[in-house]
Amino acid sequence: MLAALVVPGLGHVVAGEHIRGVLAGAGVLGLFFGGMFIGGIDVVDSREDAVWFYGQALVGPIALGVDWAHQNKFKVIDPVTKQVRSANPNEGRDPISGKAVAGGTPPNEKSLSKVNELGTLFGTVAGMLNLVVVLDAGFPSRDKPRKPKADAGATA
Amino acid sequence: MNQELFQSFTTLAYRPFIDPINVHRLWYWLLIPLALGIAVTYKAVRVGDMSHYVRQVAAMTAQIVGAMFLLGLGSYLLIQHVLPLILPVK
Repeated sequence: MLAALVVPGLGHVVAGEHIRGVLAGAGVLGLFFGGMFIGGIDVVDSREDAVWFYGQALVGPIALGVDWAHQNKFKVIDPVTKQVRSANPNEGRDPISGKAVAGGTPPNEKSLSKVNELGTLFGTVAGMLNLVVVLDAGFPSRDKPRKPKADAGATA
Repeated sequence: MNQELFQSFTTLAYRPFIDPINVHRLWYWLLIPLALGIAVTYKAVRVGDMSHYVRQVAAMTAQIVGAMFLLGLGSYLLIQHVLPLILPVK
């Protein structure tokens, strides 16, 4: 179960269920990175979308790392308010101080509207499904194979 | 559709996973990969016999997409046709 918390699906792989673990991990990571592909790194944001990030954080250290990179390597420090924010379209980022620099290229493009909403949703659904995967790694439950009709009649 | 997708990938400044893609007018098609991702993950931990996995994933994806389509259709009919009968606009 601890392995499942580190990397999605790893708990099943460690328990010997390799195919199940790989498929579960591929599903969770596919949704998480699919969300980033749709809405960019802006969809993982613990400051501006905290409630959604609580769900995304369930993906594990990968989501926390992406958020750390977003906050510390992509966002800029406003020179006036000293607040951390996304760079405007006409701003760059000073790589040393992290301050906004007028006239440069923004480190990332902020996603808007449905693209941002759906990218965020993909990541949060990935986190919630990873919770299911983690719980299943610790307490497995499977669909029982259906009994053939002849057997069912014989036992009745 | 293809032209919009093509433009979103060929913009010089575009950086995958950092910048968003330009699918603002096609967002509802994203329901299909969302439903597929949910089905792939859920069925991976739920299916007992993995030989049925692909069929179960396809069925669950179709069920989610179909249910969302029906919910959307129902909402459209309710708002555009049923509510105006109950509460006519003066």
